[in-house]
Amino acid sequence: MKHKRKKGIPRLLELAGEKKSLMVWSGILSTVSVFLMLVPYISVYYVMVELLTHASDISAVDAAYVLRWAIWGVVGIVLGYFFMYVGGMCSHIAAFRILYGIRVKLSDHIGALPLGYFNKNATGKIKKIVEQDVEKIELFIAHQLPDLINTAVMIVAIIIIMFSLNIWFALACVIPMLIGFASQYSMMAGKKAKEGLREYFNALENINTSSIQYVRGMPSIKIFGQTVHSFRKFHNDMLHYRNFSVKYTDNFQNGYVSFKVIILSLATFFLPVGLFFISNDPDNVAFAATLLFFLVLTPGISTPIFKLNSFASTLNVIVEGVNRIDEIFEEPTIKETESRQIPSSYDIGFHDVFFSYGGGSGAEVLKGISFTAPQGKITALVGPSGSGKSTVAQLIPRFWDVHNGSIAIGGVDTRDMRMHDLMDTLSFVFQDTFLFSDTLYNNILAGRPTATKEEVHAAARAAQCHEFIERLPEGYDTLIGEGGVYLSGGEEQRVSVARAILKNAPILILDEATAYADPENEYQMQLALRELIRDKTVLIIAHRLTTICEADQIVVLKDGQIDDIGTHNELLSHGGLYKNMWDAYTSSTDWKIDILQEKEEFA
Amino acid sequence: MIMEQLRNITAGDPKKMLKPILWAVLANLANIFPFGCMAAAVSMIYAYYAKEQPSLNTQGLWLAWGGMVLFLVLVFLCERMSYRATYRGAYESSAEGRTHLAEHMRKLPLGFLMKKDPGELGHMMMNDFTHLENAMTNLLPQLVSGTIIPILAFIGLLFMDWRMAVAMLAGFPISMLLLWGVSGLEHKLGKSHSKAKIVQANCLQEYLLGMKVIKAYNLRGENFKRLEQAFYRYMKESIKLEGVLGPFFLVAIALTQTGLSLMTIVGVYLILGGEITVPLFAMFLLVGTRIFDPLSVAIMRLPAFKYDAMAGERIVSLLNQPVMTGEKEPPENHNIRLENVTFSYDKNIVLHNVSVEMKEGTLTAIVGPSGSGKSTLLRLIARFYDPQEGKVLFGGRDEREMDPEKLMKKISMVFQDVYLFQDTIRNNIRYGREDATQEEIEAAAKKACCHDFIMKLPQGYDTMVGEGGSTLSGGERQRISIARAMLKNAPVILLDEATSSLDPENEVEMQKAISDLIKGRTVIMIAHRLKTVVKADNIIVLDKGKIIELGRHEELIKSGGLYVKLWNLQTKTNGWKLSV
Repeated sequence: MKHKRKKGIPRLLELAGEKKSLMVWSGILSTVSVFLMLVPYISVYYVMVELLTHASDISAVDAAYVLRWAIWGVVGIVLGYFFMYVGGMCSHIAAFRILYGIRVKLSDHIGALPLGYFNKNATGKIKKIVEQDVEKIELFIAHQLPDLINTAVMIVAIIIIMFSLNIWFALACVIPMLIGFASQYSMMAGKKAKEGLREYFNALENINTSSIQYVRGMPSIKIFGQTVHSFRKFHNDMLHYRNFSVKYTDNFQNGYVSFKVIILSLATFFLPVGLFFISNDPDNVAFAATLLFFLVLTPGISTPIFKLNSFASTLNVIVEGVNRIDEIFEEPTIKETESRQIPSSYDIGFHDVFFSYGGGSGAEVLKGISFTAPQGKITALVGPSGSGKSTVAQLIPRFWDVHNGSIAIGGVDTRDMRMHDLMDTLSFVFQDTFLFSDTLYNNILAGRPTATKEEVHAAARAAQCHEFIERLPEGYDTLIGEGGVYLSGGEEQRVSVARAILKNAPILILDEATAYADPENEYQMQLALRELIRDKTVLIIAHRLTTICEADQIVVLKDGQIDDIGTHNELLSHGGLYKNMWDAYTSSTDWKIDILQEKEEFA
Repeated sequence: MIMEQLRNITAGDPKKMLKPILWAVLANLANIFPFGCMAAAVSMIYAYYAKEQPSLNTQGLWLAWGGMVLFLVLVFLCERMSYRATYRGAYESSAEGRTHLAEHMRKLPLGFLMKKDPGELGHMMMNDFTHLENAMTNLLPQLVSGTIIPILAFIGLLFMDWRMAVAMLAGFPISMLLLWGVSGLEHKLGKSHSKAKIVQANCLQEYLLGMKVIKAYNLRGENFKRLEQAFYRYMKESIKLEGVLGPFFLVAIALTQTGLSLMTIVGVYLILGGEITVPLFAMFLLVGTRIFDPLSVAIMRLPAFKYDAMAGERIVSLLNQPVMTGEKEPPENHNIRLENVTFSYDKNIVLHNVSVEMKEGTLTAIVGPSGSGKSTLLRLIARFYDPQEGKVLFGGRDEREMDPEKLMKKISMVFQDVYLFQDTIRNNIRYGREDATQEEIEAAAKKACCHDFIMKLPQGYDTMVGEGGSTLSGGERQRISIARAMLKNAPVILLDEATSSLDPENEVEMQKAISDLIKGRTVIMIAHRLKTVVKADNIIVLDKGKIIELGRHEELIKSGGLYVKLWNLQTKTNGWKLSV
């Protein structure tokens, strides 16, 4: 990661170089194939020369000779395609393996980024890069690179042959070709084109993001009577993309069309040269044969030239895609330590911790937090929303790194532990439960992949989910999500608790889940949690104060600072923020909804 | 078959490609003429060497060249038009296609959409249309020019000598037959390739959305096996698609191209037999050198074209999903009544013969264990789905007869899962009513108890919200959704009471906001904490999709049924305390 990354074609070649031997073979085989493909044209040329030399006496034509050339033509084609296939497979296998490698590396890197990255970058955008931008590299490695090699070799070879046959014809062919290329490239390589491309990509990312929102936000769209046209941005993004694409392609119009027409009409350019010579020296049969050679061969080279041309027009797109991939690779990951310390005890210590989400610049969310959560005890974090209690919990697993101060487990700074070891000491139950679209069994097993079936079932039992799982048609093998079952919120939460129970890490970080508070679920959830917290160092972000009033220690947070620390009774006797919250909380539990009550007041 | 593919490629509107194709054909036609001039030049030169003419027809030769130059200009103009028509047509068509698909999606029953993976729908909206763009701008012109020239040339040559013409294209029908033979295999491989691609997309989405859990359980990168496997399978499928189909296509192309050699053999015998002249033969050879390459390119592009067409097929099949119908206005009266409603997802019956009435201006609570059908009942009232049996009546009129959009105007919903858009807070609230003024927005925000926290944000109401509302807490999102509902001011409110407990630190505020919102309206709410709804006008107790009890709290508590059981359970949990 230290060295500066290459850009553009060198970077693409660097990527292709990962499967060097396959690529070399592909280059050689496809070059051989291209030359074999010319054999039919050459055979046509020899046949025509034979006919021309015997023009005055057709019966003198050597039929066997003609036949031989016809057969050579067939052989050339068959072998040509054979080599093309083998060469193509080499490059395709190389390409798809390289793409696979990039995707694995990319997803690994993404997983090592701080969570802040995901707040800044919409998932739609990241997905597009991993799927589409990576996919585009295939075009370069599997098709363009071998084509580039074989076309370049062939064009050089043909030009040499042309010049050795007749310098004037050759010039009349090569000059228009160069003009064609020039008119094309002047537009591609220009600064304007490059900026345009960037804009094109931005436009594409914008519709990507807004279409994902449109799809995900469909309930809101319907409820609030939005249409595609009124749904802010989406329609504009689509129109912008269209207008931009049209404008962008308009830029290439004349260049591309001139190029195409010139290459298709090379004969129009060299014919006058031929006519000029031939009318001065009509009896030179060899010259007439050369003219024929050019007439026959020029269509043969136009196909590879067109390939080369599509190379130029798509290369920019590929390079821009690679730039976006590299941008992700350049995002700094959470640093892994060299020291690999492992704590021997499991208390959590915060030492003067400062933190802001916006890197060093943003508003500080935590301002000098210090406290210790003792081993085997329950420590609760309470405070108004926005006080920073969730942030405190998320710093422990290094979802973000602190700016100042430190966090230690058993006296070891979390930054001196390997991520893997750190995660092994921690279990979490998050508020927003996330289950994988996999079987229930595997979802629980994720807690400890080496666990036996009995252990998985025991964890499920302890988390109060064994019963409902057994009731499902396929039990533990039931898939979650599409093609399987959708669990209720409460059930999902209990499955995630089962996962944490199976993991059995010495420290538990618990975001008290309250979202799906239907009575049955809540009761079972409580039984599940009771199992989970046994003998652990527990740090709980509490929302309902009744739950934690028996905690060993309660840390009261306010605006990113510690307001007070103590037990429930101590805090109540201090008469501060905690007491206010407690009073408000006890009154909220008496809430009764009544729509008439208010109306009567009006009357 | 061709029309079908064309329909798919244009997302159901093949007329869009008419103009581009027409210009492409014209451009190719124009391309043939310079060629005729060239053939004429060759035969003039030959005539001199064959001693058919005493001197070289110099004038004729220069004239032929003049013709070529003239047509060069014509070809340029036609190609230019074709280029414009193609690119404009394609981008126009995909922008319209996307808009059309998005509009269509909006008119589908929400229930249908909720069953679909949002990743897949997003993929359709984006990638599938990108495929179509590629097919229209890149592949279609190549296919057109690759096939038009050979067909025209073949027809023309048939008149000159049918044996030669047949020899030239003899391999073509065989190769087409071969391709037709493997099209089943091709379809199969293509399907499984594109399935692998979708699995990859879904796994990736899962990986990104579940990042916190993935980190917490050390499932990052290669350890998240399913993603790695999805990448791997996609790689294998890609290689397989190339490797298995490749030989068939190359054999087909080789077969087609042997036409040049076959024609040479036939030609020589015909010449020696004195049946055709050398200039005619030369012309065949010249034409032969010209048509086989574009034809091979066309054949080679065929799989890519078909692959892209599959993207179109997916779009067309979604477009064929029936939308919600009905165009009547909802009546002014807001009584809601379910009559013998039975509803099932797939084959599981969720609601069974449910009949109940909710009177205008009353509060109806729905309680019951999870999975009893509470949410489905609310969704049926909002017409997320239509019931398979029975009717949902709104103001005495069957909802199926009503314009779904107009019905939506009558209903506000406050649910647990709120999705906010990546937009400013102001605009997010304004979705409730587009023409609301800043004062009205602020008033609604104040009533929903979100004005204070909004003002604390760096840019106040102009603060951007992250995708889905990710930069706000769950409770803050909820309160914004209440503000939206306030602004919408609909007479009927569907509510999930658990919403109030999402943000316990602000529970009092939330409760105040909800009380404010439902004042004097027709309210139907799912209740979790039974204490909250003891004053409801009517409580529906659902179990396994059936109404098992119905009445006011006092009545139900006496009945000794499920309601009492839930009530007791809840009194027990309320005293719960966390301790080791």
